[in-house]
Amino acid sequence: MTEERFPFPVPVPASGFPPPASRLPPPERTGAQVMCEALLRENVEVMFGIPGGAIMPFYHAMWEYRDCLRHVLCRHEQGAGHAAEGYARSTGKPGVCVATSGPGATNLVTPIANAWMDSTPLVAITGQVSSAVLGKDAFQETDITGITLPITKHNYRVTRAEDLPSVFHEAFHIARSGRPGPVLIDVTKDTQQARVVPDWDVTLNVPGFRPTSAIDQHAVRAAASLLTNASKPLILAGHGVIISGAVAELRALAERTGIPVVTTLHGIGAFPEDHPLSIGMPGMHGWVHVNRAIQECDVLINIGARFDDRVTGKASTFAPRARVIHIDIDPSEIGKNVKVAVAIIGDARSALTALLEEIPPRDAAIWLNDIRESQATHQHRQPYLRRPETTELMPHDVYAALNAALNERGGYRVVTDVGQHQMWAAQLIEWRRPRTHITSGGAGTMGFAVPAAMGAAIAHPDETIWAIVGDGGFQMTNQELATINQEGIRNVKVAIVNNGYLGMVRQWQQLFEGKRYSGTPLSGPSFAGLAEAYGLRGFTIDRIEQAQDSICAAWDHDGSAVLDFRVEREANVFPLVPPGSSIGEMITREASHA
Amino acid sequence: MRHTLVALMEDRPAALNRVLGLLRGRALAVYSIAFGESETPGVRRITIVVETTDVQQTIKQLNRLIEVLEVTDVTNAEYVVRETALVKIHAPEQQREEIRTVAEGFGAKIVGICGPTVVFEMTDTPDRLGEMIERAKVFGACETMRSGSLAMALGVTTSPTEVPAREEIGRPWWQADGAC
Repeated sequence: MTEERFPFPVPVPASGFPPPASRLPPPERTGAQVMCEALLRENVEVMFGIPGGAIMPFYHAMWEYRDCLRHVLCRHEQGAGHAAEGYARSTGKPGVCVATSGPGATNLVTPIANAWMDSTPLVAITGQVSSAVLGKDAFQETDITGITLPITKHNYRVTRAEDLPSVFHEAFHIARSGRPGPVLIDVTKDTQQARVVPDWDVTLNVPGFRPTSAIDQHAVRAAASLLTNASKPLILAGHGVIISGAVAELRALAERTGIPVVTTLHGIGAFPEDHPLSIGMPGMHGWVHVNRAIQECDVLINIGARFDDRVTGKASTFAPRARVIHIDIDPSEIGKNVKVAVAIIGDARSALTALLEEIPPRDAAIWLNDIRESQATHQHRQPYLRRPETTELMPHDVYAALNAALNERGGYRVVTDVGQHQMWAAQLIEWRRPRTHITSGGAGTMGFAVPAAMGAAIAHPDETIWAIVGDGGFQMTNQELATINQEGIRNVKVAIVNNGYLGMVRQWQQLFEGKRYSGTPLSGPSFAGLAEAYGLRGFTIDRIEQAQDSICAAWDHDGSAVLDFRVEREANVFPLVPPGSSIGEMITREASHA
Repeated sequence: MRHTLVALMEDRPAALNRVLGLLRGRALAVYSIAFGESETPGVRRITIVVETTDVQQTIKQLNRLIEVLEVTDVTNAEYVVRETALVKIHAPEQQREEIRTVAEGFGAKIVGICGPTVVFEMTDTPDRLGEMIERAKVFGACETMRSGSLAMALGVTTSPTEVPAREEIGRPWWQADGAC
């Protein structure tokens, strides 16, 4: 542990535009200055990136705006991209990441793809070689707009400084409007260097992008009628509820109708899990009673979820008795995976507001009671896992201690990575508020948690941001601990659920591939020692009685910390729907203990 | 099933790449594509012949592209489709007359002669072009080139599932297959 901080002063962002006129020679600007001012006009306060040759003019200009436009120097562009995602997911505002051409840009591909799959507003700015050598295989030239075509909502290559104001305005509009997503802006070096008198009087002209529309009242009435007449109705709430800020409307709908609420992985926090109508998470690692409720319900209303295969299992067998109502802002999600009886196109908040005007009060107490009985039989938050004689700490002990601390203290957000620890977190922590659970869902990007937690920590300096991560994912992006130290970020606490395996793959190998642990055993350094080497506080925990105290000590420590929980190596995530199976066919425990 | 889609799209950089990339990414086979200016400056019209099991999903995916303004499936509408082929044939002097007769029978015309080869051009439906090319092979066709289908619906609107003007409030055009 060390209290030393990076010796250089860290610019403190201040809000407000325009920046002091004294430092800007009016009215001419370089393209790079225009880029900075365009970001300020979009209310950007922080960006995450790494400089390089083709983006140097932008960094040169950035220095002039450093008191209102904070730049966080990351250690790898993937970390910068995920940090911007963490910022975006915790605030709802677009995150911004910056990289140079060539490898800098290609290192952003994973976070861009992740933002694409998880509908995260992200603006990626990349430098590009000068126009004069474009297409000539110049040093660090890569066709990044070509590479990111299928994983961006839109992308731009800018070769004229005059275009910068409209391109930036359009890019932010597209990234945050409708179903949010990533947009990439690739700016050639000569464009950043060119001198121009910017024309800020830009009007949006994107006729092919019409993300919002009036809610179809016919569909709303049809949905209200189905829900009113159903005997076993069920709400499936997804990410769209959180993105559109429809948490209050969802709660109003549930409370007026008494319909039980299921929340998907990204829908966690859309509905408080301590609410009497909350029944939990569905899908591959969902609870048995939740999946059974889906298979038995007669009307299923999906609000802002996309029927991902991790939710539906084998789609043709999903909710076989249900007439499905689907609310989604993206028309292409309607009928993509599951046949829909009523579609309401629009953002969840507008759709629910319209639905609340049409739907009369009702209750579903008998149905809820059935589900609760099934829950009592099948859901065991803690004890169903065996505690082998040889081990001291089970993963579940870690989550129990963490859950207790989170609920006692409040003022937290949790970012999870991908794998067993992610599913345990979704299952075993009692989630209550939107945007407190941030994870990589659709893309399943290991290495997401540490940098994303850093981004969330910058957005919310008064909260404690927990990154829960496996030892595999942690070792993919732990270089960002250096960034955390350099930036003086004091509110990131990394909990490593360390089992010495790529655990989820090992679990599948155990259950489906005859325990052939090919390529999954994993070693690492002393993570506490590594944390100390990075100037953070490190803890090693291998006994149950240490868990609670260490979590509290880390929380109380005025600085970021890493907790290495050395848990039972071969604990599994249950329940489990085998890949390709119906969600009605769940494995609830290991065969030898069944 | 094979569908003929007609789309209008803004002339932005890489617009065609995006369309083709999307279809490839969604694992759809493209049989032909024809791309050119429309009656409106800055707007391109494109005809795509694509194999898809869910054409509505394909249309909605295309509509997600920023530059795509409108997509219509004309497959089940009244529409005309035309394609142009150029065919080069080794044609010794003594066969020229016979080739010319056969070509004229198909409505093709000779557009170039150089040395022992002739090039003729034919514009017709894709099926009819196929027949012509098969026939030409008998004469030793050595090179063929087809333009890809151009399709245009008859009448004012272009498809039975087509759809109110974009400006119309209340029920956006892409909801045509939506509710209930």
